Order: sequence, then C-alpha cells, then structure tokens
Amino acid sequence: MININLVILGCALVTFIPRLIPAIFVDRLNFGPKVEKFLNLIPYTALAALICPGVLTVDSQLWYIGLIGAVVAAGLSWKKVPLGAIVILTVVILVTVYSLIPMF
Amino acid sequence: MLGYIPMGIGYAALALKAGFNPFQTVSFSILVYAGAGEIIGATMVANGATAIAIILTNFVVNLRYMVMNTAVFNKMEENSLLGNMLTAHLVTDETFALFSFEKESSMWFYVGLALSSWLSWILGAVIGVFVLDFLPVIVTNSFNISLYALFIAILVPAVKNNKRLGLLVVITAILNVILQFVVGNWSLILSTLIGALIGMYIVDDSFMEASND
Repeated sequence: MININLVILGCALVTFIPRLIPAIFVDRLNFGPKVEKFLNLIPYTALAALICPGVLTVDSQLWYIGLIGAVVAAGLSWKKVPLGAIVILTVVILVTVYSLIPMF
Repeated sequence: MLGYIPMGIGYAALALKAGFNPFQTVSFSILVYAGAGEIIGATMVANGATAIAIILTNFVVNLRYMVMNTAVFNKMEENSLLGNMLTAHLVTDETFALFSFEKESSMWFYVGLALSSWLSWILGAVIGVFVLDFLPVIVTNSFNISLYALFIAILVPAVKNNKRLGLLVVITAILNVILQFVVGNWSLILSTLIGALIGMYIVDDSFMEASND
C-alpha cells in the first residue's frame, strides 16, 4: 500500500524548490532587452501549452467535452464577456451538455 | 481565484476517489498548491504508481514554476529577498497569468492576488471534502473545465489584435502535442521555453506595450 503522506511531503518539496530559486536570484540579475522579451513571451506560450492538449482531458472518457468548453470560453471571450462570467457560463453549459448526452 | 473554488472541488473528488483521506486531500492543496501536479498525483495514486514515480512526475510537471516565478519577480516592483521568499510558494499558472497581463505591477497587488488564490484553492478542497457526496458526477466533471476556461479567457483578448502572437500560440500548442510523444511530461516546460524562443524571431517588440491595455 502506497504511503500517501510520503507522496504529499515529497511532492511539496520538489514543487517548492523550483519556486524558491528565482525568488533568491532574480534581484541580483539584470536582464537585457532580449531576455526581457523572452520573459514577456512566456505567459503566451505557457498558457498555450497548458490549454492544449490538456483541455481535451477534462473528461477522461469524452474528449469532446473539453473541446466544447474551450470553444464556448473562446467565443465568450471574443465577445468581451467578463472573466468571472466566462468561467461560470462555461461550467453551466457543460452541465447542460452532459444532461443532454443521454438523449442521443 | 475565480476558477479555483470549482476546480478545487473537482480535485477533491478525484483525491478522495484515489484513497486520500479528507485531511490528506486538503494538506496536498495547502503544501503542494499546484492544480495539474495534484490532479496528476491523485490519478497516479489511483492507478497504483510508486511514490518515487509520482514525486518525480510532480517535479517535472511543476518545473515551469521556476520560469513563471522568474517572470513574476522580474515584473514585480519593490521586491525584496524576504518578500520573494515568502511569496515564492504562491505562484501558480493562474496568478502568473493574471499578474502578467495586468497593468499593475506592485508587490502588494501581487500578494493580494496570490493569497486570495491560495485560500480559494484550499477552500475549494475543503468544500469538496464536505459536499462531494451530494454533488452529481456531471457537476464535478464540469468543474474541471473552469481553470481552462479562465486560461482561454485570459489568452484570447491578449492575442486577438496581434496575428503573430496568435500564430505563436498555435505553434506552441502543436509543439506541446508533438513533444508529449517524444519527451512525455517534460513537454510542458520544453514547449513553453522553445515557444518563447521562436517568438523572439516571429513576434515584434510592440506586443509588450499592447499587452498592458
């Protein structure tokens, strides 16, 4: 039987160390304009990598559930709906989709 | 913090099913505080993986926080060694993304954002532990979309008016899918870094001012 407490402590440690390293060193480094640009691009590329293909695993059996959610969120965002409303509406629409599935 | 309560409930559903007790479920969220890492960890426990395999996977998957914290502390004004060390634990995809695309760059703004996100994530797990028996599976499953909805809602307006940034996002997404077959869990951090390198050449510098609007 796996020791879950060991898993929790081990994961906590290996997650905290990478978080701590920049906290200590960032102040002492002076980034040039090229590195600044690189760092400014990270939010875009990190979000792209987090969304795709992870969004397709929202439901481990039905990949299209995540795709529907992604399309809904993107559409609402395009129409400038506020962030909080996008999150709530996407969840509500997925609940609706789930309850419609048995009808097909 | 918006996506975190429903997502935290979704995580708690998964952890309890995997064999975590309620105390362990909440502790994991307090101490690790990494949505994807926790969900992968709980899934691996359920699938009978060894502790070492789970810890190694978490290390690889969460290595991106080193890159994200570098960006956060680089943007943050009036940061100090002590302040950085105290807030280091609080970086997540969400706080990093919201802070990056926000005009405000003061330390206190970040601390407020980061603390409320952390507490929301913990609160989500606590609520999950208590109410799970009453929630139908389709609702907890639907909660899993909330963080992705937030990511998409942050990204779409940011790339809407810049075709080259949009192209970079698509390239990085494809790269991540391909790299998963080659390097497995390393793909997330590798595609983020390689994508940003590609961006150095295909995106012109003007996006840095535009993204603050």
